Amino acid sequence: MDVVLLLQRIFDALFNSAIYSSLALALVIIFRSTGLLNFAQGEMATFSAYIAFVLLAGAAPGVKGGGLASWIGAPLVTPVAIGLAVIIGIGAGAATERVLIRPLRNAPELALVNVTIGILLALNSLMGQWWGTGPRVFPPFFPSSPGDHIDIAGARIRYSTVGAWLVLLTLLLLLALLLRYTRAGLAFRAVSIDPVSAALNGIRVGPTLMYGWALAAGLGAIAANMSANSVLLEPTMMVRVLVYAFAAATLGGLDSPKGALVGGVVVGLSQTLIPAYVPFIGFELSVLPALVAMVVVLIVRPAGLFGTQRIERV
Amino acid sequence: MTEMMLKVEDLHARYGAVEVLRGLDFEVPEGNVVVVLGANGAGKTTTLRALCNMCTTTGTVLFEGDDITRAKTADIVRRGVAHVPQGRGTFPELSVMDNLKIGAYTRKDNEVGADVDRWFEIFPRLEERRDQLAGSLSGGEQQMLAVARALMCRPRLLLLDEPSLGLAPLIIEDLFERFAQLNKETGLTMLLVEQNANLALDMADYGYVIESGEIALHGPAEQLKNDPAVQEAYLGA
Repeated sequence: MDVVLLLQRIFDALFNSAIYSSLALALVIIFRSTGLLNFAQGEMATFSAYIAFVLLAGAAPGVKGGGLASWIGAPLVTPVAIGLAVIIGIGAGAATERVLIRPLRNAPELALVNVTIGILLALNSLMGQWWGTGPRVFPPFFPSSPGDHIDIAGARIRYSTVGAWLVLLTLLLLLALLLRYTRAGLAFRAVSIDPVSAALNGIRVGPTLMYGWALAAGLGAIAANMSANSVLLEPTMMVRVLVYAFAAATLGGLDSPKGALVGGVVVGLSQTLIPAYVPFIGFELSVLPALVAMVVVLIVRPAGLFGTQRIERV
Repeated sequence: MTEMMLKVEDLHARYGAVEVLRGLDFEVPEGNVVVVLGANGAGKTTTLRALCNMCTTTGTVLFEGDDITRAKTADIVRRGVAHVPQGRGTFPELSVMDNLKIGAYTRKDNEVGADVDRWFEIFPRLEERRDQLAGSLSGGEQQMLAVARALMCRPRLLLLDEPSLGLAPLIIEDLFERFAQLNKETGLTMLLVEQNANLALDMADYGYVIESGEIALHGPAEQLKNDPAVQEAYLGA
């Protein structure tokens, strides 16, 4: 076996792994707190990338919202545009919880899942309507010229991959610190475990869930803005990513941030490596190994690799 | 005449179509221990839940003169009403210490640590287990944690929902001694719901008996203890 080629394939896969992990982490945050699978997570993220796109384009012909963007100074430079777009994404995430989810807090979970599917479809159509369904060129988040890579043992790891991991690990660290050492983090953990008990401790459940949605939307927005350069910006760009992120989150345990990270890496690697070395699974079937792994985990260990085995009172 | 900490008028509560409370009127004077007695299904738990707006209610609930009938549960807690429900209001997946910190969530002063030490003095078993997960404690220890966590918000009114449930008789007696001690030392007002009428009436100043969501009988604890109807129904005399 060609070791350099294997290493190269791993390095290439790790970029996708970082994106899957980020989106899986967003799914986990909302699942832990709201007890809900947010099918709109990918579209919400894509929407933020389109906001960045508009802020970058300014009043260019054919760009919906460009006039509005130029009113605040667009075209903006890439980091500022993406930073602003992520902040807008965070605000939109909070607003989604407040306006569409909280009023239905007493509705059955299935109804809420349907709401998130509705948001998915609505955002997808809206983006198509405003910015067209065709792919758009999006600037790179990290230096991505042909020479921007590090050589390790003959294989090349691109700056964008290193950068994506640095961003992801920084966010994970911040999240862990937030959950462990702040008042808001304590409230968030309490609400995740038991909203009724949380309210009995004086914690306002609604606003706490809203912060969770904001946090998740921010993670998704960063993931979308990091990957929009390589996959090209289009309304459906996160649809496949969401499927992989679901697989990653399920694999790791839907309520475990650590599981989301590990699940994302496993799914990203399996998607590249298994088709490369297992001849009867072509690249067209690259999603298959991840989904098979997900089903096997669900049968053998329903809580996922790192998910909480619930402690029950008797 | 002592000031009324809690005044409840014509309290109705329902779960869907089922009306569980059918017009309760009762009062809890400041510094007193008031007990609500009743059989299973009489509406004791619902009474406490209704006070915290955890079910659909009509009527009026006045806490320290303010109408809290429509206030949100979290805001009622912030006003100084702590509720120890049968589900215990604690978090089994978190440590004893984290549970106490969550109990103090509403506070912004810097005496939280001192309060933790104080409740550890009253419940020494909790200090031994401060870093253990709450779910790993014994039933009695969990009940102590539930009470200590409720006390962390420095309530002026403590609602206790059948604290004796599922505990061994010796542990129950110990727990009730600590309640009495709390009431005596801090003047904390308590509203206690119990099936164990003997112990509850020993500690209480005043009692209400509810049957099918209505108050059947009420009076000073001493008087209820000697009431033939109460003796027959609840004291096994």
